[in-house]
Amino acid sequence: MIELKNVERSYKAGHTETWVLRRVGLTIGEGEFVTVMGPSGAGKSSLLNVLALLDDGWLGEYWFGETPAHKLNRKQRADLARQRIGMVFQSYHLLDDLTVAENIDLPLSYKNLPAKERQGMVADILDRFQIVAKKDLFPSQLSGGQQQLVGIARAVVHAPTLLLADEPTGNLHSTQAREIMELFCQLNKTGTTIVQVTHSEENASYGKRIVELRDGWVTRDEAVNSRD
Amino acid sequence: MNSLLQDVRYALRQLRKSPAFTLTVILTLALGIGANAAVFTLFDQVLLRMLPVERPKELVRFQWTGSFSGSGSSFGGDITNYFSYPMYKDLRDQNQVFAGILAADRASVGVSWHTQAEEKDAEIVSGNYFQLLGLRPALGRLITPQDDTAKNANPVVVLSYSYWKARFASSPDVAGQTVLINGHPFTILGVAPENFQSAIGGYRPGVFIPVSMVEMAMPWVVQRDDLNNHQSVWLTLVARLKPGVSYQRAEASLAPLWHSLRANELTLYKNHSERFAKGFLDTSKLQVLDDSTGFTPERGDLKTPLIILMSMAGLLVAMCAINVATLLLLRAAGRSREMSMRYALGARRWRIVAQLLVEGGVLGAAGCAAGLAVAPAVAGMLVRLMTSADPGKEHYSAAIDMRVLLFTLGISLLTTLLFSIAPALHFMFPDLAQALRQNAGTAPKGSQRFRKLAVGAQIALSVLLLGSAGMFVRSLDNLRNQPLGFETANLTTFSLDPTNSGYGDDRTAQIVTSVVERVRAIPGVTIAAATTDPELAGDDNGSNFTVQGHIASEDEKMDFEVPWVTAGYFSTLHQPLLAGRELTEADTAGSPKVAVVNAALAKRFFGTPQNALGHLLAEGGGSNVKFDTTIVGVVGDIKHEDLKTDIGPAVYRPYLQEKHPTGVQIYARTAEAPDTIESAIRQAVHQLDPTLVVDGLRTMQAEIDISASDNRALAFLAIGFSVLAMILAGVGLYGVLAYSTEQRTREIGVRLALGAGRWSVVTLVMREMALIAAIATAVALPSVVAVARLFQSELYGVSTFDPVVLAGAFLFTAVMVLFAAVLPARRAASIEPMQALRTE
Repeated sequence: MIELKNVERSYKAGHTETWVLRRVGLTIGEGEFVTVMGPSGAGKSSLLNVLALLDDGWLGEYWFGETPAHKLNRKQRADLARQRIGMVFQSYHLLDDLTVAENIDLPLSYKNLPAKERQGMVADILDRFQIVAKKDLFPSQLSGGQQQLVGIARAVVHAPTLLLADEPTGNLHSTQAREIMELFCQLNKTGTTIVQVTHSEENASYGKRIVELRDGWVTRDEAVNSRD
Repeated sequence: MNSLLQDVRYALRQLRKSPAFTLTVILTLALGIGANAAVFTLFDQVLLRMLPVERPKELVRFQWTGSFSGSGSSFGGDITNYFSYPMYKDLRDQNQVFAGILAADRASVGVSWHTQAEEKDAEIVSGNYFQLLGLRPALGRLITPQDDTAKNANPVVVLSYSYWKARFASSPDVAGQTVLINGHPFTILGVAPENFQSAIGGYRPGVFIPVSMVEMAMPWVVQRDDLNNHQSVWLTLVARLKPGVSYQRAEASLAPLWHSLRANELTLYKNHSERFAKGFLDTSKLQVLDDSTGFTPERGDLKTPLIILMSMAGLLVAMCAINVATLLLLRAAGRSREMSMRYALGARRWRIVAQLLVEGGVLGAAGCAAGLAVAPAVAGMLVRLMTSADPGKEHYSAAIDMRVLLFTLGISLLTTLLFSIAPALHFMFPDLAQALRQNAGTAPKGSQRFRKLAVGAQIALSVLLLGSAGMFVRSLDNLRNQPLGFETANLTTFSLDPTNSGYGDDRTAQIVTSVVERVRAIPGVTIAAATTDPELAGDDNGSNFTVQGHIASEDEKMDFEVPWVTAGYFSTLHQPLLAGRELTEADTAGSPKVAVVNAALAKRFFGTPQNALGHLLAEGGGSNVKFDTTIVGVVGDIKHEDLKTDIGPAVYRPYLQEKHPTGVQIYARTAEAPDTIESAIRQAVHQLDPTLVVDGLRTMQAEIDISASDNRALAFLAIGFSVLAMILAGVGLYGVLAYSTEQRTREIGVRLALGAGRWSVVTLVMREMALIAAIATAVALPSVVAVARLFQSELYGVSTFDPVVLAGAFLFTAVMVLFAAVLPARRAASIEPMQALRTE
C-alpha cells in the first residue's frame, strides 16, 4: 500500500544542515498495524509527517498504492491526503469552539459532501464510538480519554485507508490508553492500515510490526506478535 | 516619587525597545490630538473666546424686532442687528442701565503712507469706544469723545497694533504724523493695544476712525446723511451693563425708552399704513444679548460647519484612542509572562496599574507634543479654507495660545486615560499559573472581545465620517455644477473703488468707464463690463419699487435687487437676453431713464418677458412716486447673492444714470484661460491712475470657490478626516486580524491537516472580519442618515438618504476591510500544518 524509497529529510539552520531521515526505505502493506519507535529526535514524527503528506521538503520516492506521491504537486498531495489518510494527534487538536459533533464533521466539510450525507456519517461514528450523548459538548467538557476518542472518531469518519497516530496515548492515563489501543485494534481488524508513533512498549504490543528509528536511520524493522 | 521615576524610566526603556510600535502610537495620537487642537483654535476664536477687554461679561449688544422701512447697510447678519446714528445717540444718552454704549461699523478705506496706497479694513467707532472697552494705548493715545464731535471736524485715526507693526515698521514716532485716508489727511493719534483687534468679533481692522468722520471714510453715505438719518440703519451697538444690572432688568428698563424713541421715529414715516405702524411700534421690542464674545456675523455661517468639524475631530481622536488601546492590548499579550512574573514576585495590583498608566502617560505626552507641533499648520489651512481669506489677510489666528494649549492637554489626558485603561484592565486579574506555563501568552477572551468591539467601533466611526464626507462632497459638487444663469468660464473679476482714492460723484463714473474701456482693450479680452452689485459675493442690495399698473397689497414684498451696470454687462456675463435690448453706451445720465428687468420680475408682474417691455417703474413707494424708468429689456434669472440663492426680482439700470456712483465690480470675458491677463489688468488700471487699487482680482471660478468656501472646507476636511479614520480603522483591523491569525495558528494547522483547502482558511479569516464589518456598517449607515438630518442646513441638493453616498461609504469600507485582511489571510493560508502543530 505504501512504499518509501530512499526518503530523506533535513532541516537547515544557518550553515548547518540537520538530517532527520536518512535513506528510509519502507513498505507497508494494506491492513498492517505498524508501530514506529525510537528515542526523542530519532525522526519518528518527521516520518509520520512525510507519510501524512503534510511535509513537502523531503527527497526520494513515496508510492501511495499506485500513486507516485513524490510526483504530485502540493494540491494533489492535499487531495490525496484528504481522501485516504486520517490523523490522530497526541494532544487531540480538537477545536475549542466546536462541539464534538462539529469537530467530527470537520474533515467531511472539506470534502464537499452533501450536508445530509455528512450528518449520517457523523451519527454513525458517534454511535460506533458510543459518544452520542456527548455530541453537543465542547472539548473542554470532556476528559482526556474522551477527547482522544473524539480525535480518533474525527480521523476515521471519512473512512481513510491509512490512519496515522502520533503518540495517541501520550497524554492519557493507562486505563484510557488501553481503551484507545483496543479501539485501534478494532479499526485495524476492519481493514484500516495503521501507523502509530509511540515510546510505549505496551502500545507497541498492540501492533503487528515495529520499525525503529535512530538518528534518522531505520535500525530495526520486524514483525511482532500482536497481543490479539 | 522614586517608584514613579522608576516607572517613567522603565516606560522609556520599553518604548525605545520597540521603536516602530512607539512611532506608530505617537503618530496616531498626533493625528487625533493635532486635528483637535487645530479645529479648536478656530472654534474657540469664532464661538467661545471673549473679547480681550475689561470685564467682557458686562458687555451686551442689541437686536430689535418689528417693521422697518428705509435703507439698511449691513456687514453681515440680519438688519435687525443695526441701528441709525440718531437712535444710537438717543439710547446712549437716555438709558438708566448702562455704563455706556458704543457704536461701530466696518469699512474699507484707501490708506496712503509715504505715497504708497492700499485698501485696508477700517472700523468706524464712536468717541467712547476705547474708554468703554477699558483699553489703554500701546503708543500715543486712543480716540476719545472729544475726537468725535462735529461732522468732519476731527480727521484723526488710531492704528491697530498689527498694522502699525506691519505697515509702519513699529515706528515709535508715528503718533502725530499724517496719513491719507481716501485721499484726506488724517492725524495718527496712537496705536491700539497689542492683543486687541476689534469689538466686532473676528474683525481685524488696520485703522480706527471716529464716526463723525464717516463721510470721508465712506463717501457714498453722504447722500443718505447717515449721521442725521433715522431711516438709515448701519451701526452695531455694544453697551456695558452697570454693576448688578441683569439682562432682564436692562431689557425691562429699555422697553419704555425704545417705545418712545420708535414712536418719535414713526412720525418721520409718511403714508404709512395702520398695519405698518403696529409692527413698527406695538410689536417692536429691543432685546439685550450677550456680547462678551463680540458681534460676529460670520459666526452664523461658521457655527454649524465648526460644530461639525469639532465633532469629526472628536470622533477622530476617539478612534485614535481606541486604536492605540488595541495596539497596547496586542502588545500586552506578549507581556503576560512579564506581568505574571511581577505579580508572582509580590507586586500589588495598583503598582502594575500605575506602571501601565505611566507608560500610557509617556506615550500620551509624546503624542500631545507631536500634535501641538503640527496643529498651527493645520489650523492655518483651516482658517484659510473656512474664511476664504487670502494668505496674510485672515481674520483669525492659527497660533496656539494658552487656551488651545490647555484644551489640547485636556484632550490628551482624556485620550491617554482612555487608551491606558484597556491594558491596565487586561493585567488587573491575571491567571498566574496559566500565564507562567505558556511559552507565549495568549489573550483572555475578554481582551479578544474588546479588540473585536474596538475594531467594530472604528469601522462604524469610519463609515460615519465617510458617509458625512460623501454628503458634503455631493453638496459641493451640486453647488459648483448647478446652472448659475451666466457663464463662469473664462471670466475674470476684480473690484475697483475710486472713492477710496479721493474720487467724488463728479469723476467716479468717468474713471470707471475709462477703466472698463482699458480692460476691453487688453489683448485676449473680448468684452468687459461693471456692476455695483457683484455676483456671488454675498451682497444683497435691495430697494423698494412701484410697478405702474400694479397695486401692491400691504404685505407684498416690493424690494427688488437693484444693480447699476455698465453697457454690455449681460453680454459679458453671457446672461441670456429674453426680450428687448440690453443696456448700451447710449444710456447716459442725460438720456431717458431705462431699466432691464429679469425674468422673475417680468413673470410676476407681466406674465411674460415680452409683455414687460415698455412698462414703467418708479423707485420708492407711496402714491407720489414718479414713474420715470422704462423697461427696455428682460434678461434671464441668475444666482446672485450666493450659489444657493436665486436673485429674485431684479432691476438693472445704467451705471451712468446713477446720481452717486460708487465702487464697482468689473468682469472681463477672455478668449483664453483668464489668469493670463491679471497682470495686464493691473497695469492698465495703474496707467490710468496709480492711486487706484485693483482689489480681489481673481477668476470667476475662484470666486465660486470662495462663495462655496464653507461647503468646500467641510467637504475637504471631511474627506481628510475620513481618510485618516479609514487608515486608522485599517491599521486597527490589520493588527487585530494579524494577532488573531497568529493565535489561531494551531487551529488553522489542524484544519489544514484535516484536509481544509487554502481558500477555506482565507475564508475563515475573512469571514470573522466581514461579520464585524457588516454589523458595524449596518449600525453606522442609519447614523449617517441621522447625522445628515442634523446638519441638513449645510447640504445642498442631496437627500439625507442619498443612495450613492451610502453605497459609496459601504464600498469604501469593504475595500478597506479587504486591504486590511489580505495580509493576515495570506499568512494564514500559508501556514504549514506540520509547523503549526509542532508549536504546541
